[in-house]
Parts: sequence; C-alpha cells; structure tokens
Amino acid sequence: MAITRRELFTTIAKAGVPAAVAITVGTDSLQAENIPVPNAAVGLLYDASICIGCKACVAACAEANNTPPDTRGDKLHQAPTDLNDVTRNIIKLYKSEDGSVFSFVKRQCMHCLDPACAAGCPFQALYKDKESGIVRWDADKCIGCRYCTITCPYHVPRFQWQGFNPRVTKCELCHERLEKGLKPGCSSVCPTGAVIFGPRTVLLSEAKQRIKNNPGRYFQKRVYGETDNGGTQALYLSRVPFEKLGLPELGPESVPARTLRWQRRLYQYFALPAVLYVGLVQVIRKSLKGHEQEAHEREKQTGLRAQL
Amino acid sequence: MSTATIRNAPVITPVTTNETRWERAVPVYGFPVVNGFFLALCGMTLLAFVLTAYRELAGLGPVSGMNDAFGWGIWKTFNVMVLTGLGSGAFAVGIAAWVFRRKRLHALMRMALLTSFLAYGCGLLLLGIDAGRPWNFYWIVFPWKWNMHSPLAEVAICMSIYAMVPLAIENIPPVLERLWYFDSRLRPGVERMERRLHFFFPWIIAAAYLLPGMHQSSLGALMLLAGERVHPLWQSPWLPFLYLGASTFMSFGCVAGTTMLCCVVWKRAMDMEVLDEAARITAWLIFGWLALRVLDIVFRGALGTAFHADRFAGVFWLETLLTSIGAWLLRRSLRTHETRSMFLGYVLSSVGGMIYRFSPTTLAFRPNPESLYFPSTIEVLVALGFVCMGIAGFLLIVKRFGILPAPLQEWHDMASYFRFRRPYIRWTGYFKHGYFGEDEAETTDSD
Repeated sequence: MAITRRELFTTIAKAGVPAAVAITVGTDSLQAENIPVPNAAVGLLYDASICIGCKACVAACAEANNTPPDTRGDKLHQAPTDLNDVTRNIIKLYKSEDGSVFSFVKRQCMHCLDPACAAGCPFQALYKDKESGIVRWDADKCIGCRYCTITCPYHVPRFQWQGFNPRVTKCELCHERLEKGLKPGCSSVCPTGAVIFGPRTVLLSEAKQRIKNNPGRYFQKRVYGETDNGGTQALYLSRVPFEKLGLPELGPESVPARTLRWQRRLYQYFALPAVLYVGLVQVIRKSLKGHEQEAHEREKQTGLRAQL
Repeated sequence: MSTATIRNAPVITPVTTNETRWERAVPVYGFPVVNGFFLALCGMTLLAFVLTAYRELAGLGPVSGMNDAFGWGIWKTFNVMVLTGLGSGAFAVGIAAWVFRRKRLHALMRMALLTSFLAYGCGLLLLGIDAGRPWNFYWIVFPWKWNMHSPLAEVAICMSIYAMVPLAIENIPPVLERLWYFDSRLRPGVERMERRLHFFFPWIIAAAYLLPGMHQSSLGALMLLAGERVHPLWQSPWLPFLYLGASTFMSFGCVAGTTMLCCVVWKRAMDMEVLDEAARITAWLIFGWLALRVLDIVFRGALGTAFHADRFAGVFWLETLLTSIGAWLLRRSLRTHETRSMFLGYVLSSVGGMIYRFSPTTLAFRPNPESLYFPSTIEVLVALGFVCMGIAGFLLIVKRFGILPAPLQEWHDMASYFRFRRPYIRWTGYFKHGYFGEDEAETTDSD
C-alpha cells in the first residue's frame, strides 16, 4: 500500500527529531560560533600610563569626523562629559578616593573581534568590516532600535535623541581617512604617543615589548583586549585596574558567544523549529478532525450553524 | 458570616447546567458601541496619535525619559515586552485546546485570538513609533539581510509575520460568520472561502504556535546580551524559557479574566467548567514557573541577593508573592467556586508576571555609570493611548462579532431581541435574508 501523507509526515518527524537534536546539541563548531579574525585587522594601542590628558585627540576626532563641537556643558567650550551623539572619542580621568592614584583614559569603540552590538543588530547596520575588522555603522540599514546601546559591554554606541533623522554615533576608526592613506584623527595628533595606530598584531607585540621593558609599570602585566571579550582591536595598557577605567573584566569568551550559545544552537539551520512545526501540524490535523466532527454533530442537534 | 454560609452550603456537583454552558460565541447585543467610556478611549487614542506626530518631528529625546543609559523606554519594555506577553493567549490557550486537546477551552479560543491580535497589533505599531529610523524597516522583506542570530531580529521579524499572517487568518472565521448571516446571497462565496480556510488550517494553526513560542522566548533572550548589567536575580541562561513561561500563565489570566469581566459587565452566565479548567491549568503553570525560577536562582548561587535591602530584592519578592498568591487564590477558587477569588487570582498572577517581564529591562537593569529612567508624561500618554486603542477595538468587535462565549439560549435571546425590540434594523436590509439562520420564508416579509 502506498504511503499516505500522514505516514510521510510522521516518518519525516521521526527521522528529523534525532537529526535536529544532534545538530543542535552535538555539533561542536557551529557556523555562528566561529569568530573569523580579519586578515588586515587594524586597531589602536592606548597606553594610559603615558597619556597626559591634553584632549588633543578629542578635538582631532571631532575635526576628522566633521562633528559639531559639543558645547552643551557651558555653552562656550567643547567639553563633553561622556561619549554622546557628537562625541566619538573622549578623555576621562580616574582618581582614587584619597587622590594618590590617578589615570587618564581614552574611551572609544573597542572594535571587538566578536562585537555584541553587531550580534544583536537586526539588519546588520552595525557590522564588522571583513578586511580591516572595523565595526562600522550603515545609516541605510539602521532602524534606530537602540539595541546596540544595550548590548555593548563598553557602552560605546550612542543614539541621537534629537531630531527626526537620528543617527548612531560611535568610533569607526576614521575609515575614510584610512582609505586616503591617513591615520585616524586621534592617533595623528597625540603628542606623547599614548595612542598609536597600526595592524593589531604589530600593536600587540609593541604592547608586550613595553611590558617587558617596564614590568612594574603595568597592571597585571597584561594587555587589555588581547583576549578580553574574545579579543578587541583597541588595546589598552594601564597602571590602574582596567575596571577603574570603565573596561569591565569580561573573561576570554566574547559576550555573544557566552550568552547566545543556546539561542544560536536552537536556531542553527532552523532545524529544530522545522521539526517542531511538522510535529505540530500532525497533532493539529488530528485535533481539527475531531473538533469539526463534534461541531457538526452539535449543528445537527441545535439547528444553528457550527462555529469553528 | 460569609464563611459560615459557604460551609453550610450544599456541595453542588454539576457546576455547569444547560443554562450556563458556553456553547456559542454570541455578539454583545443591546448595548450601544458608542458610550462615554468608548469616547474617552477614542480621545486618548487620538491624543496619542497627535503626540506621535510630534515625536516623529522632534525625535525621541524631547518626548521621552530615555537616555544614553536607558536606551529603551516603556514603549518597548511595557507595550511590547509586557503586553504582548499578556496577549499571547492565542498561543497558550490555543496550545492547551488544540495540541493538548483540552476541548472545553475551545469556548475561550475566540477571546484569546482577538485579545492576542489587538495586543500584538498595538504593540507592533508602537514598536514602529519607538524605532528611530522606521523607514529602514523595508529590509524586513529581504531575508538575506536579516541577522539570523540576533534575538531582536527574531522578535521583530517573527512577531510581525505572526501577527500579520497566522494570527490574522485565525481571526477570519468570526468575520466570515458575520458575512454569512449578513446576506444569504453571500453564503455560497463565504462557504467556499471557509472550506479553503479549513484546508490550510493545520498549517496555519501550527505556525501560530511555533512563531510565538519562538519570539516570546527571544524577548527574554534580548537581555542575555546585556550580561552583568541585568541583576543576577533575573539574568540567567534560562531567561528565554522563563519569559515564555510567564507569558503562558499571564495570557491565560488575561483571556479568562477578561472573559469573566465581560460576563459580569454584560450580565452573561459563566461556565464554571471552562473557567475551572483554565484556572487549574493556570495554577499549575504558575507553580511550574515559580519552581523553575527559584531553582534557577538557587543553582546560580544568586539567592543571597534576594535578601539584600535594595530595590532589586523588593521587586523580586513583589513578583514572587503576587504570582504565588495568585496561584493560591486560583486553587482556592477551584474548591469554593468563588468567581471573585478566581478573578483576583488571575489579576494578581498576571500582574506578577508583568512585573517579571518588565524587570530585566528596567527595574533590574543597572547601567554603568549608574543612572535612572522614569517615563515622561508624553511617553506615558502615548503608551496609554495605544492600550486604549486596543480596548476600544475590543469593545467594538465584541459588540459586532460573535466573540464572547455564551449559553445557547443567549443566541435565541439575541434573535428575538432583534426581531421584536429592534425591528427597524430590518430596514437596513442587514437581516432581510434570515439573519439568525431561521427559515427564510417566515422572515422575508415586506420592508
């Protein structure tokens, strides 16, 4: 006897469930969990121990990105208090409570190797450039949902709260200047060389060299961003704990890899939902048959049209 | 005094008689659609639309309390994340009725489908207003531009597809039914469409359970990426599952509670068999959810934070107490058959679930540097306006379509009501061809 449609579906479901479970649970290296490191990853190395806090980089950043000066503080000076809709780069000061220890910190996008903002962005408006690894924002794809401001562990992307055409502002490593062969605005003006630009591998070895030359100078003798949050392209050296500079200790696993592991597996190749769907259709077909039968019996009893 | 009467009252075994058994969805007849309350709702909706126009021009900053630390305000966190959970009755009641074959719950299905459709519709509209650059939503039609692994893409895409396709199609039968009774000349066409609809129903209904299961859990997954900034009492790998669980008991409460409220307001009989069944399921859902929630907190070692004297512990205990008292009241109402405690149980447990779904984004969200968010007046008015729009739509639809379940007698009462109390309605031609399905030869008298 030929296979009925029901049998066919049942068979598909029976064969599919173990297959889907295997794909979901068993597979080790999933497509979504492979973090490709860009070949020509560029980045910044910021050494907080030699930064003098002159804020030349803040002004240069505004000039390079053609953003208006943020004079909202005292209506006179460009003195933003934090990253905001016109400030992609800022120098902040950390001072311990007794005032004995202090450190400047330059905050801008970390250009994570596995950026949480891009992992959450629904239409890939925030995306990681495949060549340079710069995390960029595409105005034509952004729906303005502000999920990036929630997901970024460094609290970098900022939304423009005024106006009918708001934008998301974050450091894009002056990619337009890079195309012209120039350095990013901030690194081109730094008088002490506290922030330098270059390929990530070069910067990493430079940072390690500095630690080697001056082991007592740096906190934990390590480079923040080498492995933190899965690795970042902006690297930090500091005398004070990184947490004091607003760089949380996130561990070697990136935020999306750590938190979305099961979410990603459950939706891998859409296998589990598809199998679930076939199973549901099977069950509901049967329910519907019984329900229709009962409704028509009631229709005969009451003389009123069945309501399904 | 009252306890004494309950104790002395004889135990009535059949809780449902023919006079109270819900057998048919009957429009709420004899009450005008337009009354003071309805006009007030429309006024609120209109105000919200005007303020929305202002928001589109001025941007989000001037109209809301959102800031760099709290990028999401109540439009997303309340109207979408909480109210679609409350309105996922089509999912929760539907699964109980169609997949687990709790046949009595079919009586509540039309209420569930309508409340879901309105909650999702209003939520999605407000989602579009909340988005800063809504014109870019057109990318939704290019699947290769989706970020398939983003919880927010999952929510936005899945939710709009669900509301526009399976949920909308599931709401068609009451419309077709109304057309069928509207004019006998339409009947062949309506019947043809119904047959076509029934042919596709298994696939549509299955999608209507798969999609909400996906996006109601993804709503919880949204906050996973926020990591440590969500208080450890809430931040958990089980957050998606707990969000889904909360939406099931909340929406049971919403559907059954709204139906009870409608029965009281429009003086309809309550079918205690159906309501008991719903209350029993809701109570078990709450117990299961609470158990999972507490076990999750204990195994993550976050229990200690529940005893700190801060707002987080306060919110945690508030939602836990509300849901457990709600579940207890529901269990109690099963013994005593007090509709009052059943209704209160639904309200308390739903409010508890709502607070749970609201917390991770707002009450238990700790941005760094520490900052606070409180919605501005305009923000609240718009959020309320869109809720009012849903309620107004509900009032209009239950009075014009067969949604609310009623005993069979109610249908016959409606027939005689229109025949004798509102004979002029025939002049419109609406009921000329046997509105109530009776023998047409008797009713087609001269106009």
